[in-house]
Amino acid sequence: MERRLQEEFPVSWVDDDYVTRREFFRFMTLASGGLAVGTAGIAAWSALSRESRSFDPVRIASRAEMRAGSSLAFAYPRSTDLCLLIRRPTGEFVAYSRRCTHLSCPVDYQPDHDRIYCPCHNGAFSLEDGHVLQGPPPRPLPQIRLEFRGDDIFAVGLMRGEA
Amino acid sequence: MTPTPTRRHGQQAIIFVALLLFCLVLVTIQLWLFVGSLEAHLRGNRAMSIPAAIISATVFGLNAWMYFGVRRIERQDL
Ligand code: FES
Repeated sequence: MERRLQEEFPVSWVDDDYVTRREFFRFMTLASGGLAVGTAGIAAWSALSRESRSFDPVRIASRAEMRAGSSLAFAYPRSTDLCLLIRRPTGEFVAYSRRCTHLSCPVDYQPDHDRIYCPCHNGAFSLEDGHVLQGPPPRPLPQIRLEFRGDDIFAVGLMRGEA
Repeated sequence: MTPTPTRRHGQQAIIFVALLLFCLVLVTIQLWLFVGSLEAHLRGNRAMSIPAAIISATVFGLNAWMYFGVRRIERQDL
């Protein structure tokens, strides 16, 4: 039976195996090329994606309305994008997106800890640049760029924070 | 003493399998780099993506060099 098979399919099993391995090697090299291209694509995406975007300025409040250690909720740039304007105890104004980068719970300002806190899973963000201080959020909070015109505070754009 | 063709073929096969396994390890590293840099990018950390791309391209160069080297040796044998 085996002899007959050999006559009808005159393929050397050893060589056949060798060819298969060579093809596998070629496939792995191609896969390696694909992964190199993919990783280069991510690098290009990272290099080209913009740090900051500008939108139409929107007046949020006047300086006088906000005392030190207080916060004010507003929407920017769309009416569904909730944000938080904070006046720190030092008098400095900062604004961040109010949507937690973990599971989108609304975050709150904690004046006693001088940080932004998410009650859903105990996440916290720094007021310096929005980086994660604790908890499960994977990314920093996007920061809102502010501009001061006289006594008024305007939101003028959105910045993405570095992790 | 020159090895007999069968023995030579056997040695080549062993080297071939060793190179193939090495290539497999390299591709696994590339896969890890790809997933790592994608995750880091989505997390907002972009410092890692360019070094990862350079390492991945170097690894690909090594793989291609091994593959064409094996092909060249095979052709010389024919
Ligand atoms: S949703 Fe904010 S920490 Fe989970």
